[in-house]
Amino acid sequence: MPVPLGYYLGLAAIIFTVGVIGVLVRRNAIIILMSIELMLNGANLTLVAFSVHLQELSGQVFVFLVMTVAAAEAAVGLAIIVMIFRNRESVNVDNLNIMKW
Amino acid sequence: MPSDYAYVGLFLIFGVAFVLITFFFARLLRPSRPNPIKNRSYECGETAVGSAWVQYNVSYYIYALIFVIFDVELVFLFPWAAAYRSLGLFAFVEMFIFIMILVFGLAYAWRKGALKWV
Amino acid sequence: MNLTLIIPEIFLFLWALLILFVDFFTAEEKKHRLGPLSLVGIVITVVLVVFSGQGQAFGEMFSADYYSLSFAIIFLGSAFLAICTSIDFARERIKHQGEYYALILLSTVGMMFLAASRELLSMYVSLELTTISLFVLSAYLKTDLKSSEAGLKYMILGAASSAILLYGISLLYGITGTTVLKGIQAELVGSAFPGPLLVISLVFIIAGFSFKLAAVPFHMWAPDVYEGAPTPITAYLSVASKGAGLAAMVRVFFGSLLPVTSEWIPLFMALATMTMVLGNIVAIRQSNIKRMLAYSSIAQVGYILVALSAASELATTSMILYLLVYMFANIGAFAVVIAFYNHSGTDEICEYAGLSRRSPFLAISLVIFFLSLVGIPPLAGFVGKYLLFLAAIQKGYYWLVGVAVLTSVISLFYYMNVVRQMYFRKPTKNDPVKVSWSLRLALVLSLIGVIAVGVYPDPFVSLISKAASVFVY
Repeated sequence: MPVPLGYYLGLAAIIFTVGVIGVLVRRNAIIILMSIELMLNGANLTLVAFSVHLQELSGQVFVFLVMTVAAAEAAVGLAIIVMIFRNRESVNVDNLNIMKW
Repeated sequence: MPSDYAYVGLFLIFGVAFVLITFFFARLLRPSRPNPIKNRSYECGETAVGSAWVQYNVSYYIYALIFVIFDVELVFLFPWAAAYRSLGLFAFVEMFIFIMILVFGLAYAWRKGALKWV
Repeated sequence: MNLTLIIPEIFLFLWALLILFVDFFTAEEKKHRLGPLSLVGIVITVVLVVFSGQGQAFGEMFSADYYSLSFAIIFLGSAFLAICTSIDFARERIKHQGEYYALILLSTVGMMFLAASRELLSMYVSLELTTISLFVLSAYLKTDLKSSEAGLKYMILGAASSAILLYGISLLYGITGTTVLKGIQAELVGSAFPGPLLVISLVFIIAGFSFKLAAVPFHMWAPDVYEGAPTPITAYLSVASKGAGLAAMVRVFFGSLLPVTSEWIPLFMALATMTMVLGNIVAIRQSNIKRMLAYSSIAQVGYILVALSAASELATTSMILYLLVYMFANIGAFAVVIAFYNHSGTDEICEYAGLSRRSPFLAISLVIFFLSLVGIPPLAGFVGKYLLFLAAIQKGYYWLVGVAVLTSVISLFYYMNVVRQMYFRKPTKNDPVKVSWSLRLALVLSLIGVIAVGVYPDPFVSLISKAASVFVY
């Protein structure tokens, strides 16, 4: 008995939503970055689930590239966060208020 | 043909059991004679100095960042290697160019001094 | 497969690597020469783009046609102007100049691939190449608190919006079973009526792209990032990143989603209205000129969205032409801001008092660029707006055009506020503002563009209408 497609999509939607809520609610820049990774993984799971369901490979290739892009994004993001931390000893996004948010 | 759920269940059981069984046998085999010096964080005779919450040198982050970038490129090598025979020369040249781009990145990091151990 | 088609992109990429390479062997005080070196690379790439053939490579992933050609020229043009405005700024204020120019070129490569891709996967990857380079560039002044703050905000919201876009794409892939735009269109024509999943995926895709375009209500990153980023990057960001978003958006919506127009046109009309109204009204009370230009560029996106909701061949023509016109006027205006900042170190509008006496050339250029942004004939902005509104009127969206015209009149108010400062206020200082050769080049090119397209638009319109005919409406 295979796991129905809807379960995968539901799980992916939950992961994506958790990520969105994390981005909106959390105040620590590193946790926000982790939440963005969750959003990407929600999308990845949807792509893989559809790819297996439709017997069509391009979705899985898509996931490979998304993983690489996400790593590049995380590297740049962490570098920027390190820079912010050296400038002001804090990674709390509430303190980023020199300009109106 | 077992159901997909059975696979998930097997993975779950195996994952949990592996940890528990290892701990169980380790407990059976090892002698247990604790004393305060042995219970310290570093068991090899070093006295721990200060708290662990100190600032690391920033170049450790750079190693981590470089690792993150190069680590995931491997994901492209596996499918290429698996289908190597059927892909032919064109894919070989493409992968060669891909690796060369990565080598350029590594050379760049090296030249900028990001790989220097501090 | 025809690999000669991607020679321009590969050339520009190699040129970026060349700049990094030359950077190693250049003494610090000579590094400002890397700027002119990158300009040479861009000029050669323009020649290659014009003379390289048309066709497809890598299946549907890359297609060189008039559409990608006209966008590539706009992107290369804005990179050229942005680098011109960067040279003095970078020499005075920026460390690591080699990487700075290389990143601008790399993000341009991403945009060129983006305009040429007809497939969601290559589109996503090239969009990320563009935006990740821009994240770094906007945070480039490492010790400046505003710049690092701008970089973090842009990175968080940019990455989150890419993730939202990706989720929309993944749902669209699930509905149609392909990532090729043509295949998606064929699949949607066959289906009887769109299900709720399609609507959800469209909402996610539109939200993701709206972040890139800075359309209201997804605009909140733009003013902060524009204010904090190094000013030449702000100029580049305001044109090129919007252009990239627009190139991808038009390709996706006109290239694959035309069978379901009834699902997305109302959304675009709502976005256009909100963007025009909010952008123009909030711009009035800004005291920092970069922030004011940020809100003005948000408002300009609103006008483009008016045409996007018209979904016709004329709409595509008018959008690409408007992007061209907007590039000249907006980068020109930023060039004036940069020249003034290099001299005085401030971006406050009140400091512009009496600029007409300190530098008549800068003052009159800024007036011309502002008039073009408002859309006063015979400047280019008029032609652009005329075609945008014509496309909407042909579809009978009279009220939308009414809002657009009304908000254009409001925009006159905040642009003229700066003009009033420059011409009718006494200067606080009397030293003349010097303008270097590179900034002068950028200003003169932008002025020529603004006036030429305004006075004699026919050749531009006829070339761009060829680009618009790649879609079947």
